[in-house]
Amino acid sequence: MNALARRAAGLLLSTVCLPLSALAADPQPTHEFTLDNGLKVVVREDHRAPVVVSQVWYKVGSSYETPGNTGLSHALEHMMFKGSEKVGPGEASLILRDLGAEENAFTSDDFTAYYQVLARDRLGVAFELEADRMASLRLPADEFAKEIEVIKEERRLRTDDKPMSKAYERFKAMAYPASGYHTPTIGWMADLERMKVEELRNWYQTWYVPNNATLVVVGDVTPDEVKALAQRYFGPIAKRDVPAAKKPLELAEPGERQITLHVQTQLPSLMLAFNVPSIATAEDKRLVNALRLISALLDGGYSGRIPTQLERGEELVSGGSSSYDAYTRGDSLFTLSASPNTQKHKTIAQAEAGLWKLLDQLKTTAPTAEELERVRAQVIAGLVYERDSITSQATAIGQLETVGLSWQLMDTELADLESVTPEDIQKAAKLYFTRERLSVAHVLPLETTHE
Amino acid sequence: MSERKPSRLALIGLIAAAVIGSAAFYLSRSGETSASEALDKAKASQKLQSLTELNGKAPDHRKLDVQTWNTAEGTKVLFVEAHELPMFDMRLIFAAGSSQDGDAPGLALLTNAMLNEGVAGKDVGAIAQGFEGLGADFGNGAYKDMAIASLRSLSAKDKREPALKLFAEVIGKPTFPADSLLRIKNQMLAGFEYQKQNPGKLASLELMNRLYGDHPYAHSSDGTANSVPAITQAQLRAFHEKAYAAGNVVIALVGDLSRVEAEAIAEQVSAALPKGPALPKIAQPTEPKASIGHIEFPSKQTNLLLAQLGIDRDDPDYAALSMGNQILGGGGFGTRLMSEVREKRGLTYGVYSGFTPMQVRGPFMINLQTRAEMSEGTLKLVQDVLADYLETGPTEKELDDAKRELAGSFPLSTASNADIVGQLGAIGFYNLPLSHLEEFMQQSQALTVEQVKAAMNKHLGTDKMVIVSAGPTVPQKPLPAPTDKPSEQPLGVPEH
Repeated sequence: MNALARRAAGLLLSTVCLPLSALAADPQPTHEFTLDNGLKVVVREDHRAPVVVSQVWYKVGSSYETPGNTGLSHALEHMMFKGSEKVGPGEASLILRDLGAEENAFTSDDFTAYYQVLARDRLGVAFELEADRMASLRLPADEFAKEIEVIKEERRLRTDDKPMSKAYERFKAMAYPASGYHTPTIGWMADLERMKVEELRNWYQTWYVPNNATLVVVGDVTPDEVKALAQRYFGPIAKRDVPAAKKPLELAEPGERQITLHVQTQLPSLMLAFNVPSIATAEDKRLVNALRLISALLDGGYSGRIPTQLERGEELVSGGSSSYDAYTRGDSLFTLSASPNTQKHKTIAQAEAGLWKLLDQLKTTAPTAEELERVRAQVIAGLVYERDSITSQATAIGQLETVGLSWQLMDTELADLESVTPEDIQKAAKLYFTRERLSVAHVLPLETTHE
Repeated sequence: MSERKPSRLALIGLIAAAVIGSAAFYLSRSGETSASEALDKAKASQKLQSLTELNGKAPDHRKLDVQTWNTAEGTKVLFVEAHELPMFDMRLIFAAGSSQDGDAPGLALLTNAMLNEGVAGKDVGAIAQGFEGLGADFGNGAYKDMAIASLRSLSAKDKREPALKLFAEVIGKPTFPADSLLRIKNQMLAGFEYQKQNPGKLASLELMNRLYGDHPYAHSSDGTANSVPAITQAQLRAFHEKAYAAGNVVIALVGDLSRVEAEAIAEQVSAALPKGPALPKIAQPTEPKASIGHIEFPSKQTNLLLAQLGIDRDDPDYAALSMGNQILGGGGFGTRLMSEVREKRGLTYGVYSGFTPMQVRGPFMINLQTRAEMSEGTLKLVQDVLADYLETGPTEKELDDAKRELAGSFPLSTASNADIVGQLGAIGFYNLPLSHLEEFMQQSQALTVEQVKAAMNKHLGTDKMVIVSAGPTVPQKPLPAPTDKPSEQPLGVPEH
């Protein structure tokens, strides 16, 4: 179970009331401040090794994009490596590489982020380069002409040639009828074909300003030195108004939808998704936390219900999973997937019925104390394990801030999950696992194979 | 080698990868590169204030006090105390990979995957509940040389002790229940079906066959759809008895433990294992003939793999080859390969080369994917880049930059407990000196271009390449001309 899955797990019965500090280790010293130009800075001290991670998160991603303009955020991310006032195309990467830094960037529905991991004495270089491209990106037309080809190649590689990724892209487009979350982050091929560098320039001007960004630093640093460096390099960048970013709200009950896809695969599989709120959009946070617990009950480790009942018990599926991202800017999805166990001659319909049986169980029967205690133990341990990596700490902080929540949720997470009762779990299951909220995908092998 | 472990994780991986809604798109970094004059140029031009303020010294790194001893049963232990977080990581590395499969491909992996399926009085569900109820993570995996069992747990005594007790049962006294064996075999068979949609995987299977012939490295750790169903419980028991013996494993341990606690843990774990010596080392492979193979596959892209035999982990040229490869194609962007194939021609999203040093000679491999209609031209280009590099060797500049990069990244290699336990595992398994990390640094920093060039030519040859492609057969187009705008000359003399 990885750190993110662990974060999604969690629960406690009200029978145990130890102070939280006795359960998980004390949080590390964390500081926040905002520069005059609106750049928010969060610093978490971790002095185990003389290294540091610096991340800049922009509040823009594919859910901000409009039809015809998909893929802009991701393409701009690529172009951020193609030169700014102080450095030529690719030069910043080479400088960082020569200094032994790891660097990269990622784009998602809700954010675009850039990071460097490096020896602590060279944090200033990361800041200066990052500030330079926040203030003065060049966006040369000839570089764009080459880079858009690389992006199309990336799309062929990661989506078009990956049957399950391709199927998920189509499924997601269907599952979000109203919000920008239907847009694939890499963009539709037709939009990549007609993208212009001027559109990227406009996108950059609109969103890449200090008051729309968060700087997160975790490692062997003091808040004072980070503040001085941040002020020195990011301080001179002017603030500028950004458009009001509206939360991607979804229809609560869009109606049942189904898609059947034939892809280059040998084995069939199945996806179910329910339109549900996130922590950022829910009126009743307890129900959202209940959904997180449900995902942990279903798929939180090898003792979860999907592996126990469907994989091993009935041998109905050869693999299955559930996933729920509560930390999104807008309304989210609760997703289940499974592959029928074809060795045992099980069908998609049987696998689908098996998943529904688990969902119905959640509606009718409260989880046992033992099961909840197990999930709780995983959350507590997960909060400690997550702190072994400075990057995962920084990413958790950055994501929370960027979707409109506070990094302090990290430290109250255990208490939030503990406030959920078994009744909340039943209530959430009944409210959300309905046909009106459901999207279904059947992913099947091509009818004529190439063999 | 990066073989996947079977059971649910391998299968889930395929689905989960697609299902994680907010899966981010990572950029593999890019750069208009005339190798890396960038740093010096930037320094000389003094446009970046922060660079002029760096003192040029290698940065500090976390000093590891590696302690080592042998248990009463003869198991080697490597230990680093780290009290900052209330947790510990333990990794057992058995010389029990698929190179020990004998005539039953898949046996090593199946044995490893079955460890946590049953012990006396507990079935797979009860074992999972046991670990997960303590917040402990049990991990396992089998590769060509190694089989791994690992435990991550909170260090508090009430969590640590029951977690260790269960871990010791799982690695020492697994019962290999028949129903689990059948289920896992079925999951592996489903995995083989999934492989058929993955041209990269198909190409790599074919490549290893051609490269290693009848050597034990030739077959996939997963085994095959023919070999796996025939494997019996008795074979698993016999394999466990000899390959999971206390003399055939190394224990790496990092975390919030005293030396006394660490010794007790190591004793407990090694005493739980079958008694016995290390297995004999496998034979070196014989040099294959150069060849080209193709797998027809209806993808948009063509996978290209080029390989030849590389080195074993004891090779004295390890540092030189590692450095030489870093410049050729090991470092992501800015390498010779990335520069020519991606940056100047946009032919690929990424091209990488690497040595995989193993117990005996592991592969040297170059891999990439490219548009099908350009695949022949791209293959030729890659071969030309390698030939040119072998002929001329790295430049002084490239070598200096690679050294500086290595020194700069060194602190990152021991930053977390997870990093450290991985380093200890490798040091222990390959019998490297405890000071290996520091020595590797010193050796690397002392290399000359002549030494790197000589080592690369000693171990690699353009006429030895085994090549496999997987993709559609389509009419080929010529490559675009390189658009290498002559970048500005360095503005000053490098100052270091």
